[in-house]
Amino acid sequence: MNIIKEKKPRQRPRIPTASMADVAFLLLIFFLVTTKFDIKQGLGLILPPHAETGGKKVKIKKENLTKIKVNIRGEIAVDERRVSASELKTVVQDKIRENPKMVFVLEADRRCKYYMMVKALDQLLAAGAQTISLSTR
Amino acid sequence: MAKIERKTKIGSEIPNASMSDIAFLLLIFFMVSTTFVKEKGLRVALPRAVAFQKINRRNAATIYVSRSRIISIDDFAVDTNQIRYIMQKKLVENPGIVTCFRTDKDTDYGLMVDIMNELKKAQALRVSFEVKKFL
Repeated sequence: MNIIKEKKPRQRPRIPTASMADVAFLLLIFFLVTTKFDIKQGLGLILPPHAETGGKKVKIKKENLTKIKVNIRGEIAVDERRVSASELKTVVQDKIRENPKMVFVLEADRRCKYYMMVKALDQLLAAGAQTISLSTR
Repeated sequence: MAKIERKTKIGSEIPNASMSDIAFLLLIFFMVSTTFVKEKGLRVALPRAVAFQKINRRNAATIYVSRSRIISIDDFAVDTNQIRYIMQKKLVENPGIVTCFRTDKDTDYGLMVDIMNELKKAQALRVSFEVKKFL
């Protein structure tokens, strides 16, 4: 027999890199989808100026003023009439409809908890109140 | 006479197979060495609300108030009477600053009143009470 063994050309070992881009994109998309940015969100308000530092006293007519009080137990009263937290929004909306220039004064007891004030303020803002004054006495 | 053989032209190429390796190396280097400037703040449980707005981070000066009546601005524990001075300084740097309260929901409201009175004295009147979305 005279079969001459043909010498095979030696193959160089290779790592397939064609799917590298796929892997990279997969990772990219994964992180794109799962990343949650920490966005600051809050209830915006402009405080009334302090009397000492040149804050002008603004006289507001009584009929344009609504006092909202929060007591130590978190109970809410609008013009001395007790309302529940869920009612507050509709009450405020009615007031705005009657008088669009209505100014709301939010007065919370010093001893109450912070979230009680925030709850009332949230309802006011949700009702679309434009002028809210936060009493800090 | 023997023919002078013409030299084959040598292609001038820059090997770019290792380009991605270099790019990855740089990427990993910066990933590892970058430290983000981040306020640590205090651990607070924010109240929940619906009528919130987004706050622009650039104009935000955050005041942390914890349940145990600790006040922190820029990771410094401060006293109520120091707030006026700090906020005045911040207002000079950026007149459009919004004071963001990150206050624990069970904080006594009286403390917040005291802080807000200091803000009024410093004429930092734009405030925002940070809240969390209802789930």
